[in-house]
Amino acid sequence: MIVCVAVVGHQNNPLYIQSFTDADDALKLHHIVHCSLDVVDERVNNPKKSGPTLNETFLGLLYPTENYKVYGYLTNTKVKFILVTTDLDVRDADVRNFFRRFHAAYVDAVSNPFHVPGKKITSRTFADRVSTIVQSFGLSSAV
Amino acid sequence: MADPASTPLGKMLLEEITPVVMVLCTPYVEESCLKNGLSLIQLLSPFCDFTNIDVPVRTASDQPYRLRKFKLRLFYSSDIRQPNLEVAKERLKKVITHVGEKNFLESSDPSQVNNLLSRPESEMLPSWFQFFNKELVRTLSFSDHEAFDHPVACLLVVSSKDDEPVNRFVDLFNTNKLPSLLNDGAMDPKIMKHYLLLHDNQDGPFNKATKLLADMRNAFGQNDCQIICFNSSQDGKIHHQDNPWAPFKSDALPTENLGGFLNLDDLNEIKDFMQELSSKHIIPYMEQKIRVLNQQVSATRKGFRNQIKNLWWRKGKEDTIDTPNGPVYTFNSIESQIRILGDYAFMLGDYELALSNYRLISTDYKLDKAWKRYAGVQEMMGLTYFLLDQSRKDAEYCMENAFNTYLKLGSAGRRNTTRCGLWWAEMLKTRDQLKEAATVYFRICGEDTLHSAVMLEQASFCYLLSKPPMLHKYGFHLVLSGDHYKKCDQIKHAIRTYRSAIPVYKGTTWSLIKDHVHFHIGQWYALLGMYDVAVTHMLEVLASTHQSKTTQELFLRDFLQIVQKTGKTFEVLKLQLPVINISSLKVIFEDQRTNASAAAARVKESLWRSLEEDIIPSSTARSNWLELQSKIMPRKYKESNICVAGEALKVDIEFKNPLQIPISVSSVSLMCELCANPEEDANSSNNEVQNNEDRTSTSSGDINSCLILSEVDFSLEGGETTVVQLTVTPRIEGILKIVGVKWKLSSAVVGLCNFEFNPVNRVVRGRRKQHSPSSDLKFLVIKSLPRLQGFIHSLPEKTYAGDLRPLVLELSNQSKSPVKNLKMKISNPRFLYAGNQKELNADFPACLKKKMNVEKSGRHANVNKTLQNLYHFPEDISVQEETSLSWPLWFHAAVPGNIPLYITIYYEMEGVSSIMKYRTLRMHYNLQVLPSLDVSFQLSTRPSRSQEFLLRMDVVNKTSSECFQVHQLSSVGQQWEISLLQPVDSILPSQSLFAGQSLSCFFMLKDRRRSSTSEDSIPSLSHIQSDVRLGPQDNSEAFFDVSSSPLADFHDCERSSRGMSSQVGCEYKVDFVFITQLLKGNSDSSSNTPLVFSHHACDCSPSSMSPISWLVDGPRTIQHNFSAPPCEVNLKMTITNSSDAIASVHINTFDSPSSNNQLINDATTSQPPEHQSGWSEIPIVNDTKIITTEALTTRVPKSLSLESVPQFIWSGTSSTKLVLQPRSTAEIPLQICVFTPGIYDLSNYILNWNLTPVNDGENQGEANKSTGVCQGYPYYLSVLESNFKD
Repeated sequence: MIVCVAVVGHQNNPLYIQSFTDADDALKLHHIVHCSLDVVDERVNNPKKSGPTLNETFLGLLYPTENYKVYGYLTNTKVKFILVTTDLDVRDADVRNFFRRFHAAYVDAVSNPFHVPGKKITSRTFADRVSTIVQSFGLSSAV
Repeated sequence: MADPASTPLGKMLLEEITPVVMVLCTPYVEESCLKNGLSLIQLLSPFCDFTNIDVPVRTASDQPYRLRKFKLRLFYSSDIRQPNLEVAKERLKKVITHVGEKNFLESSDPSQVNNLLSRPESEMLPSWFQFFNKELVRTLSFSDHEAFDHPVACLLVVSSKDDEPVNRFVDLFNTNKLPSLLNDGAMDPKIMKHYLLLHDNQDGPFNKATKLLADMRNAFGQNDCQIICFNSSQDGKIHHQDNPWAPFKSDALPTENLGGFLNLDDLNEIKDFMQELSSKHIIPYMEQKIRVLNQQVSATRKGFRNQIKNLWWRKGKEDTIDTPNGPVYTFNSIESQIRILGDYAFMLGDYELALSNYRLISTDYKLDKAWKRYAGVQEMMGLTYFLLDQSRKDAEYCMENAFNTYLKLGSAGRRNTTRCGLWWAEMLKTRDQLKEAATVYFRICGEDTLHSAVMLEQASFCYLLSKPPMLHKYGFHLVLSGDHYKKCDQIKHAIRTYRSAIPVYKGTTWSLIKDHVHFHIGQWYALLGMYDVAVTHMLEVLASTHQSKTTQELFLRDFLQIVQKTGKTFEVLKLQLPVINISSLKVIFEDQRTNASAAAARVKESLWRSLEEDIIPSSTARSNWLELQSKIMPRKYKESNICVAGEALKVDIEFKNPLQIPISVSSVSLMCELCANPEEDANSSNNEVQNNEDRTSTSSGDINSCLILSEVDFSLEGGETTVVQLTVTPRIEGILKIVGVKWKLSSAVVGLCNFEFNPVNRVVRGRRKQHSPSSDLKFLVIKSLPRLQGFIHSLPEKTYAGDLRPLVLELSNQSKSPVKNLKMKISNPRFLYAGNQKELNADFPACLKKKMNVEKSGRHANVNKTLQNLYHFPEDISVQEETSLSWPLWFHAAVPGNIPLYITIYYEMEGVSSIMKYRTLRMHYNLQVLPSLDVSFQLSTRPSRSQEFLLRMDVVNKTSSECFQVHQLSSVGQQWEISLLQPVDSILPSQSLFAGQSLSCFFMLKDRRRSSTSEDSIPSLSHIQSDVRLGPQDNSEAFFDVSSSPLADFHDCERSSRGMSSQVGCEYKVDFVFITQLLKGNSDSSSNTPLVFSHHACDCSPSSMSPISWLVDGPRTIQHNFSAPPCEVNLKMTITNSSDAIASVHINTFDSPSSNNQLINDATTSQPPEHQSGWSEIPIVNDTKIITTEALTTRVPKSLSLESVPQFIWSGTSSTKLVLQPRSTAEIPLQICVFTPGIYDLSNYILNWNLTPVNDGENQGEANKSTGVCQGYPYYLSVLESNFKD
């Protein structure tokens, strides 16, 4: 299950963090997302580890904590997407697919003329869309 | 990499993994040593560390090597046991607590991440980690699975004071007293023994001791016995410069003089003894033992045969021994022997040998499933690899292997895991693999929260030091560590770690984390009772808008609790609760401009300026003013604003509650500084600043008496914004500066907010800065001045259009001096203008009525002034001190809508102030005028008689409830005579217009001027029928006089506001005033005098004022048998020229309605019609003449709707032209031909006319040439089929 998705701006400022758990663990997830930024930076600065192609946006598994797996994705504008999941066996393809859809939703959200770049994303449509994407995560593998 | 031995880990290993010497001593020995404040071991310890010895060592190989560093560890026999877990824990906790106390006091926070990184590494990393790690490792000493803690030698010490020292030596090494580890077979009890006789020089002469030594040598052997004499100093005052014992006695008091009885000789003696012990006895003994063991191992284990044998033997053993901790090995077992061999070789620096033995034994242990021992050996292998600096991979592999193996053991291997992890992490750190080291630290964390906290903190520093620094993780681990510390009640540590984490989150938008950190620091400081610091941290989270409501409540509650605990009211600069919108700051002050109400102050300054433009003595007065100012005031105050003592300055500030919870704010007031005016002694510009400063300090004491500050309390709901008006009233002259605002939050915390404004640049004096008044909060307070207060009595807020009533303006002067030269300007004279003083008590509405003997002269006296909106009060009018002046005003609600009224009153003071000579009082009212009656007039000429007009008046009552009583209709001017066409009773029996009712009246209007110019030129007033009564006819009430003030004045205003000249009397233009009354009873006025409403209509003129009028005459209905030839209809057109010019008229007829339509389009679009070809090209437009045919063109669509009817044609000529003499009439016949029955509109013709003025010299100016085009009137003709025809 995905417990948290986050959009982090290019100055490592949080633009959108949404947790999908019932528990009151927002702080913990904030910390996890915040920490994973270090790994993102590391991946970006050492591109030889980051993947076969230079322009790969998907950063892969950033780091496993005790209970979570954290995946990262970096757009061309240096906006980071972070995914925190409790699933321990996640298929890379699923995550890639998730990020691709998430990226599309993000692009639509920031294309809104009323969105101020660098400010938090407050669009309700975006939130709805993200939760739809999150709910459908992993279902494609079952089909 | 540098020499592994010189790395931190290397140093640590060389210190910790060294031969152990067991010390046995008698109580007398201890007693002697304690004279110096030291125990025996403490006394000897400084001399056990040899850093520059040079001992040749030969171990298993034949090649000797030299050992340069060596260390012995001394332990009392009672300490040679596994430390008690609880005690060890307690000690570690004490260490941490101690460090916490120490660091807490001296810690300074780096505020920025950059500062954090710019410091040298050694400074960044707290030194106590090393110490703690060492202590942690030491808790594991004398474990049963490792050999390097096995005592290598035993030092037996007996004092010369003891009875029979030789026997004492024997007693000391009594197996009963030996540590259990030696007795139960874990350690080899047969160890080297060394005998030492300690002689205290204070106890007696040396001779006795030497004798004893001889006895000892006889008993125990020549080489193994030695003597030390010490305590040679008699007075114990010897002070050692850098005390060698300090590191070994951590709990020593600074006043204690350690080693006070030991002189230099004693020290040298001890030093020599220890060196000899190690180099002559212990090292050779270890060499010896290594060689023996090596041979033993070689014999049993080396070689192919032995290996096979060993393997087979172990396989067989596998099933039999399977205890949880693996098999039990005694020191005699070959496995233990190999381990001892390895450890000895390690301690002597022969790492190759050690490694080969470790390798050998590791497989054995693995096969035996002796996991703890296996892990221990792996650990040593890793360390050996590290010290050999050979294979990093192997080293790491071994460490990880050991770590994991310990981990698998569960709680039994827990502490070993910790030690192994520490060493591993150190190893990684040495190799700059800081991230991996951090991971290891993280993995060390286990059940023990306190240790985990320290490990997490160490991990965080690894992240900080890694290249590039991983600050996010640094922060995270610090926070984690802080949490762990908190769980162990190490609050000071927790605060320290959290505070270190602040720079990471500072300036970022990760507010949830930031709030968490600050909030907890605040809470923890509060727990420690440091409320001041706690408050500063709590302040950070106070205005956290993003938090949930409950969290905000929690934050606020805790904050207030902490503040309460401080026991004082806190003053907080820039308190974030509530938020002050500085940009909303608005200062309302009154210098020469005073406001009658708050509403007036809100009006834009530019509006007042434009209004006051011509009443303020502009250029001359202003230059005087400036001149005066520059003379009497220091230049630097020239730019400050002026206010008057005793008059309040108002400041509007917007407060906003950013939270979702309500907050209460009280005692909101301004902070002001008032210092006395340097007016009197500011004769020299050089010392004025100094003077001013002196005065500031002296006058600040009695500031309270000089200033009156208002206080406001309010409470804000979540997210609410409110604007608060604060006032300050200076009582004395001087310089007033508004510094800021302060308030009390929940009556606990005082928030301060300084208004930051650009300080006036005092260096550049030549240039005068432009600044808005509100940006500069400095005021020059001048002497108290008269200030008029103005009020208009009973000005309605809401009224109906047309309302006419008298009002009273009351001006009161509260001061001690009179004001004079009053002037008043009103923005909207249509609504309000000043009356005469004698009207003040006049009876309304009777004063408006016509009086028979009124003289008409006074009326035009103030017309001109009224038009300029400016009213000069009579010269002799002044407002005396402490009196008030009432002045009548006339009010007329001219048009409906929301009407702002601006009134400014100018007045002058005399001899009060040299700075201010005049002031203005600004009044502002907003009126809501509702639509009442909609009156429209339509004037049409009677074609037959040009000097008579038909007037149609349409009145609609647009109100929802009011009932108006119609009173009269008057025409303005004297040349019109008006009369009703039918009695009012027939059209409006009630004489009242109820809500929604409409009324149409027809009047006859006669131009008396024209008709009677030849007759009686001066009609008497009684004959003038310019008014017509619409009310009850039998009423004897007089008419309202529209030709006298105020009705006439308002009428002039109406005219001028509609852009018409005030000159009445243009031809064919009539102005009407329609007057109604509203009987009260349901409105706000208490008196039962009726309200008078007047509606003005200006410049009504006949709807078609063409000089040419015509009439088509003929039959309206014709019956015709259409089986016969087409029906011809004869018509007659009578054309009248009412002008004084010769007119040539041209009649064009069209047959098809479509061409007709076309023409109309032309006529309407191509105005003026002169442009039609073939007609006059003179372009002079005289607008009084051209009355367009709008009324007719609007009817065209109707006529077009008849398009479906059959056509008719104009028979006869399609164009007729004729010339008409002035004021003459002509008739022309017309004929049409109709083909089918139907109704026909015979309007499809146009009349072009062209006036040619008579060649008459005296009439030149008026009679311009003009032309016009008129569309034909509709004329409906019904043609029916006649049935009676056969």
